[in-house]
Amino acid sequence: MTRAMRRSLAAATGALLVAATTAACGGGGSGDSEGDGTLSVWIMQGTNPDAEDFFADVSTAFEEETGATLDVEFVEWGDAHDRFVTSIAGGTTPDVAETGTTWTPEFADAGALAPLDEYVDGAGVTDDLVEGLVEAGTYDEQLYGMPWYAGVRSLVYNTEMFEQAGVEPPTTWAELEDAAAALKKEFPDKVAVAVPGDAEFTVYPWVWAAGGEVATLDGDTWTSGLDSPEAQEGIGFWTGLATEGGYSSSGATTWRETDVLDSFAAGDVGMAVMGSWTPGAIVEANPDMEGKFAAVPIPGQDGGIAPSVLGGSHLSMFETADDKDLAWTFVEMMTTGEFAQQWAEQSGYFPGQVSLLDETLASTDPLVAPFAEQFVDGGASVPAAPTYGAVQAKLTTSTMMQSILSGDADVATASTAAAEEMTSILNGAG
Amino acid sequence: MTAPAPPTPSTPMPSTRAAAPDGAGAAGGVAGGWAGRARAAAVRPWLLLAPALLVLAVLLLWPLVRVGLFSLQDYGLREITTGEPNWIGLENYREILATPELWTVVLPNTVGFAVLSVVGTVAFGTAVAVLLASLGTFWRTVTSSAIMAAWAMPAVTGTYVWVWIFDADRGVFNDVLMNLGLLDDPTNWFTNRWTFYAIVLLNVIHHGFPFVAVTVLAGLLGVPKEMLEAAEMDGAGSFRRFFSIVVPQLRQVFAVVIILSTIWDFKVFAQVYLMPGGAGSNRSVLNLGVWSYVESFGQNRYGFGSAIAVLLTLLLLAITAVYVRTVLAEEER
Amino acid sequence: MSATRTPPRAVSRTRPGPQVLRRGGRRSPLRQLGKGVLVALLLVFTLFPVYWMLNSSLDAQAGHTSSFWPAEPTLEHYVFVLTEGGFGTFLRNSLLVALGTVVISSALALLASVAVARFRFRMRTQILMLVLIVQMVPLEALVIPLFVQVRDLQLLETLTGLIVVYVALALPFGIWMLRGFVAAVPVELEEAAYLDGASWGRMFWSVLLPLVAPGLVATSIFGFITAWNEFIFAMTMLGGATENYTVAIGLRSFFGVHSNDWGAIMAASTIITVPVMIFFILVQRRLASGLTAGAVKE
Repeated sequence: MTRAMRRSLAAATGALLVAATTAACGGGGSGDSEGDGTLSVWIMQGTNPDAEDFFADVSTAFEEETGATLDVEFVEWGDAHDRFVTSIAGGTTPDVAETGTTWTPEFADAGALAPLDEYVDGAGVTDDLVEGLVEAGTYDEQLYGMPWYAGVRSLVYNTEMFEQAGVEPPTTWAELEDAAAALKKEFPDKVAVAVPGDAEFTVYPWVWAAGGEVATLDGDTWTSGLDSPEAQEGIGFWTGLATEGGYSSSGATTWRETDVLDSFAAGDVGMAVMGSWTPGAIVEANPDMEGKFAAVPIPGQDGGIAPSVLGGSHLSMFETADDKDLAWTFVEMMTTGEFAQQWAEQSGYFPGQVSLLDETLASTDPLVAPFAEQFVDGGASVPAAPTYGAVQAKLTTSTMMQSILSGDADVATASTAAAEEMTSILNGAG
Repeated sequence: MTAPAPPTPSTPMPSTRAAAPDGAGAAGGVAGGWAGRARAAAVRPWLLLAPALLVLAVLLLWPLVRVGLFSLQDYGLREITTGEPNWIGLENYREILATPELWTVVLPNTVGFAVLSVVGTVAFGTAVAVLLASLGTFWRTVTSSAIMAAWAMPAVTGTYVWVWIFDADRGVFNDVLMNLGLLDDPTNWFTNRWTFYAIVLLNVIHHGFPFVAVTVLAGLLGVPKEMLEAAEMDGAGSFRRFFSIVVPQLRQVFAVVIILSTIWDFKVFAQVYLMPGGAGSNRSVLNLGVWSYVESFGQNRYGFGSAIAVLLTLLLLAITAVYVRTVLAEEER
Repeated sequence: MSATRTPPRAVSRTRPGPQVLRRGGRRSPLRQLGKGVLVALLLVFTLFPVYWMLNSSLDAQAGHTSSFWPAEPTLEHYVFVLTEGGFGTFLRNSLLVALGTVVISSALALLASVAVARFRFRMRTQILMLVLIVQMVPLEALVIPLFVQVRDLQLLETLTGLIVVYVALALPFGIWMLRGFVAAVPVELEEAAYLDGASWGRMFWSVLLPLVAPGLVATSIFGFITAWNEFIFAMTMLGGATENYTVAIGLRSFFGVHSNDWGAIMAASTIITVPVMIFFILVQRRLASGLTAGAVKE
């Protein structure tokens, strides 16, 4: 081979590489759109009503106020934890994101979030924030999650089915079981009460109502209480509705909350534990359901209200945000004033500000009031440990539920295994 | 070796074949052509190889080394963002090997499933190829088009379709069984380890057999007719004929098909991860791949996840070693 | 089984006529019936999932009643998926990624295969071995380090990053396969072209390339499938960049929100399957010959 040939060979190789790279870059898409007057934001979606229109309005207002564009990504809840963790590892976090209250301490612990105290003080809203949300968003005595909204789950039921079966909304466990039996008799092909296997927040109310605990902190050590006799009684009642009563469906063993919502919206479910934000989503999914469902607080064992998880979301600012002032402008806009109020009204979430919250809690709307009652009189928290997010990611509770519902394990065995795993993860081991 | 279907270019170059020598020369790769011109210039092949080797080194070999390095560390979110090492020796491996589920659940699921699916894919694919070979042109075209359609279904799509077919409450499978009176109440097939993997197996075979069928068919069509006819005269039964004449002819085809199926079937991730309960809530269906993913990207234990990944790699490499030896031995002959 | 890559003989064998395995001309009705049943069963197994996907995607009642044909035919699921689901974007992304992967991996594989098939040099065997071995490495094993690697290259959440990874995944197989094709091209042809005064480039384009074209078709298809189907890397590397989602994770993300809306999920599945399916049926013949030739030419 002559020198000329060698050169042309090298040139050909080079040309191919160039062509290759060009092609690759052509496919590069927009990628990260941070910097230069763009704020990237992640908002969660799941069983709440479609939020796209709302955020279109927010974008317009934000652009008017700051001149910067807003780039909103909707991330589904079921996937979000892994997504956050991956983006933290990859350094591709958004500027601002909605973070579930149980995750904020975890991400703060990983060094991914920027503390907000200064900004909150500067805006003068410190005293107006809902206390539970502030607590959940605090890590190492600094606030990392700006309270945005809270939500709570109650018992939602199909009024048509209830009327036809001649039952009243239950106020005790026994009544709930009777109602389920009556529904099953009247509608053998439908799900009387949905007992989903992959929805941890629908399990804890029964644990608490029976006097059990999810986990308790003693000094520095967490201990899961899922294996206590009380907790087992609660879990046993809830899963028993499916395994003994046959009031749920075998498909529900692997259901997540989105599946419950879809089936309920399709009119296939008599009652289910669902969030205060779901009524809007139910009607959105199936307009025929309008006016055909109602809610009551989750009944306690012998009356009263079973405590339900006070879930909620923060807006958190990530350390990767180039323009933190711009990020805060967005956070402030979303969590205070007009947009916070609009969001609460449209979504069925409870605002994270006391002044706005009081208004919502006083509502007489039949699809708001029962949730408000649950919120005020029957709210409880999951363990406030930065490691709780890892417990959720490990699907500890779902694993327990699925093994009981599928008949692979009894309540005692499954709850013992779950408690062991939860204790271990909460304490940072394993 | 009988090269069944050679590259038959559709270019107007009849002289190609006429000019072709009887084999061996090209295979040696020393004679003539570019190589022949300047044997001394040893750089040329390297120049040609450079881009490919660069890609393989940066994106496969170095990561392979790295996964080994990660597996010796307590590598969490902090380490991954800062890049600081945090060595803990073989602790991750010790923990993995001490996990009882590794031996009762994860390894059996991984290895057992791979074996079943390789055997299933290859056996079924071969049977289909034999059937196709015996068909007339019309039906062969129809059937192979159908097979192509199955092949074209992306893994993610296929998985959701099977999930839908076997859905407990509204899936067609339960529906048909109940209408036939074979089932009283809907059953959730995804919660039981065996039925779960039966569905995955169905999915993987459905997705994997077309490659086997198409490859073996092409090989079958290359078996000289005379050989078969000769066997026929001897009165060999069709089964015996198949195993004594056809299979040896296709030894290399089978070697390739088996090893590729092994690689692909060990890499089953989406097909398990996307099934109900497959992402970690049903612990009895975990396999090494999903376990590694869940531990790393869910629990931020990237070191532990890496150690699982290393284990999976070693498992496959052991199989590869055997294979490479076979292939190279063939080549030397 | 020595390397007798003899096109003339081989060619005569490619078309041995149909019905190779049938017992010499005997057509017992029973056999025909048995064969018919087998073909029918095969078609059912092969096509049922495809049919069921189409059926549900066209049925407004999908998920409420299972019917073997659309109980209430509709296109609403498709409209919904294309307008709300963002599948137009996902399709575009997947196409870009798949094409990028195909072009780059084929080019690199061709160069490398020329090297290993046409030259004998030190470490040639080792390199072949390396190519075989890296092909065995399970994808999941590389998710963590490749994630870090792509992050270090600043390519997370981009289609370019995905292409780079997929090229690496498709390359070993491509080299392995093209090697056989290049080796089968008679060196005399190149000699002749060279004697005619052809430049290296011309020799490459007008002699080598046309002859290995079927191999390139086969490697391209593999590259295409790899890129179109790949799931785990797309899931970890694209993260929250929804606008860069490929069809595989686009479908998963859609499923996450509409997990019980089977009509829509099946419509989405159809949309991302049909392009590949048509492509496959079109290239069917070339694929078969390319595969075997590549696979067998060890």
